[in-house]
Amino acid sequence: MLEFNIQEMSAREIIARRAARELRDGEVVNLGLGIPTQTANYLPNGVNVIFHTENGAFGFGPKPDHDLADSDMTNAGCEPITMNPGASIMDLTTSLGAMRKGYIDVTILGGLEVDTQGNLANWAVKRNGKWWPGIGGAMDLCYGTQKVIAAINHTEKNGTPKIKERCTLPLTGSRCVKTIVTDKAVFDVVETGLILREHAPDLSVADIENMTDASFQVADDLCEMVLF
Amino acid sequence: MSVHNSKVMAIGEAMSKVTDGARIMIGEFVGAGEPLCCIDWLLDRQVKDLTLITNTPGFAGGDFGKSELFGAGLVKELISTHVGTTPESSLAYLEDRMLVKQYFPMGTWAEKVRAGGHGLGGVLVPVGVGILDEEGLFPDLEEPKPKVSVNGQEFFIEEALTSDVSIIKGWRADELGNVEFRFTSRQNQRDIAMAGDFTIVEVNEIVPVGTIAPVDVGCPGPFVDAVVQGHSLEEQQDIYRKRWVKAGKLVPPAA
Repeated sequence: MLEFNIQEMSAREIIARRAARELRDGEVVNLGLGIPTQTANYLPNGVNVIFHTENGAFGFGPKPDHDLADSDMTNAGCEPITMNPGASIMDLTTSLGAMRKGYIDVTILGGLEVDTQGNLANWAVKRNGKWWPGIGGAMDLCYGTQKVIAAINHTEKNGTPKIKERCTLPLTGSRCVKTIVTDKAVFDVVETGLILREHAPDLSVADIENMTDASFQVADDLCEMVLF
Repeated sequence: MSVHNSKVMAIGEAMSKVTDGARIMIGEFVGAGEPLCCIDWLLDRQVKDLTLITNTPGFAGGDFGKSELFGAGLVKELISTHVGTTPESSLAYLEDRMLVKQYFPMGTWAEKVRAGGHGLGGVLVPVGVGILDEEGLFPDLEEPKPKVSVNGQEFFIEEALTSDVSIIKGWRADELGNVEFRFTSRQNQRDIAMAGDFTIVEVNEIVPVGTIAPVDVGCPGPFVDAVVQGHSLEEQQDIYRKRWVKAGKLVPPAA
């Protein structure tokens, strides 16, 4: 078995690897921009999913080589993609309708804040007294998708916890997040609040309490984060 | 010999319909599927005080196509899902040079456009109820977002959107205005076409009537008033690949 050292891994990689383990074979999956997009690189063996992109495709594949990059075959970030066998293309209202109606099984989203009720805030901060930058397809995803996974750094760069008792920023979705994956821990969100399920190696429950702005219960079978 | 009136026009003739203060719609998704040549015309002529209805401001990182309309200060109001995909639009908004009354969830925005194109007054949308109607969130709205309860669930009443001029981008079109799209650039270009009082399609190639199989027509000719020649597909591929390489989104070919 290959040896991996979590201490040498970037926060992004830890989050992406761990979030990828939440995906199940056959699921229809929409990945948000940033860290969530990276999870596609770490799908566990035997897990094949159908990736959805909100600009209008099921079943897209990896980035092409330069000369095969097509200006009319792009993802939601306007980056070149390919189409896997079995892919399908649809118009925008169909794609967003599929999101609202719940045809996407799971979405992995970044976030600014997430809280003990599973509320997620990721579309707006105040700049010059105005809410910025905007919503895009994130609200439609949070509204319709059964399994919303927040894949976030545990804290801001300055140490401010991103997991709160209650979100303070405008929400993207209310009571939508089922699992929170960070570089330090994994939580489930249940009716009664957060349950700490996994922790990064060398971190105690007290350490995680110190870097989390929310109360949580600890799972009976608490274990170290499983990345491989 | 042509047996029909051709809708093919020079860009200048078609785009002269866009005058200062016009309400226009432009097809795109974060810069993909943008009518780049028509946008260049707006920049050349400095058509100003535009109300722009479009999915997003454009290519992430800006300095491309539609983003330059914001940089040039031509957009008075943006009706969209987002303001921040390009630095030019962010700056225009944050420096109070452009009005954004509210952001719409993308599915809501797309349905408002579809409603406009399909002769509806609006649509009922559940997304964002309890969030986007929070007091003070959108201070530039004249009235609170209207809601209605149907079968016990609350919905926003979202009015239809229409335009004076809609500008879409297709792969190829014939003289009747039938348009074929390539891959993910289909987007909601057809709905945008239908929502315009006058609709211009910019294409890579203008082909004889009958070239596009009926089943491959993504936007039927009756929804189109003008067909204009844009970049060739080869030129378009080159433009996007160069921009992707510059943005670090595509590995350049080995030297």
